[in-house]
Amino acid sequence: MESAISSILFYVFAAAAVLCAFGVVAFRNPVSSAMNMALCFGFTAAVYFGMGAQFLGIVQLIVYAGAILVLFLFIIMMLDIKAEEHARKSFPLACIAVIIAGIFAGFVTKVAISLPGATVGECPAIVLCESIGELAPGTIAQKAETEGFAPYGSAMPELSPAAAAKALGADEATAAAATAFPDTKLLGQSLFTKYNIPFVILSFALLAGTVGAVALGRKLRKD
Amino acid sequence: MTPLAHYLIFSGILFSIGLAGVIIRKNIIVVFMCLEMMLSAANISLVAFSRAQGVNGIPMYDAQVLALFIVAIAAAEVAIGLALIVAMFRARKSVESSALNTLKD
Repeated sequence: MESAISSILFYVFAAAAVLCAFGVVAFRNPVSSAMNMALCFGFTAAVYFGMGAQFLGIVQLIVYAGAILVLFLFIIMMLDIKAEEHARKSFPLACIAVIIAGIFAGFVTKVAISLPGATVGECPAIVLCESIGELAPGTIAQKAETEGFAPYGSAMPELSPAAAAKALGADEATAAAATAFPDTKLLGQSLFTKYNIPFVILSFALLAGTVGAVALGRKLRKD
Repeated sequence: MTPLAHYLIFSGILFSIGLAGVIIRKNIIVVFMCLEMMLSAANISLVAFSRAQGVNGIPMYDAQVLALFIVAIAAAEVAIGLALIVAMFRARKSVESSALNTLKD
């Protein structure tokens, strides 16, 4: 039941995000575009929460919908930009853009559907996905399903708080009693051990970005 | 759980709307917003794969770390890009992409 609700919520939020993305492209006024972008990022964050990636959802809200959007609005208001008189460059160009985007979306859909096992799962419309129960008995995928181990090519596995607690070093009894999934802890463990050096290098990229923005934002000297 | 393919299709649709926006729109600030949307669409498929590749009920956190790095890079990119747009506005008094035609004429 819980899974069915989360599955329906995914379709609701995904549809809302796609609508807001259309709004970003369609509105003439840049401020309306920016507001639609904020909504789009908010719905994307909701999709992250549905996937169990709470930390990334929060980061999406704070960094994209908070920081980046405010920066955009600052610049739009500072430069005092009027709505475009001709929102589209020309009709043929718009047609070409829609065709290119359509071909791209078609390819992505084709590749996503033909990935092994990618359509296994539950969803409101039966046509859209294969049911989990259809895994042939005795196959590797079915054996993995029953043992709670989902290798590539099987349905998206449920999160297991007990396994996560064990991975973080809890003893058997504590792990069995765990109910919440420690998403942030596991992400931090990966970030600060395996990816520590890239993380430090990234801070230099941010520093370079800040210095570059200040250097570009200065008034040019007249000599 | 929703099948992996649907997350990937959602991310693909968001990416292609962003791509269409980059081609259609004239206002460079809106073009830049569409670029941000494309980055965030790529993040969705990374997180979906991290769930699908999970072993023993624990997602592959490598993909989520990469998504976190992309968010940080996007923040740095926006800072520099908007500074460039301000510099362009000072030089041309416009943020339309058609104003950048020095090499054409």
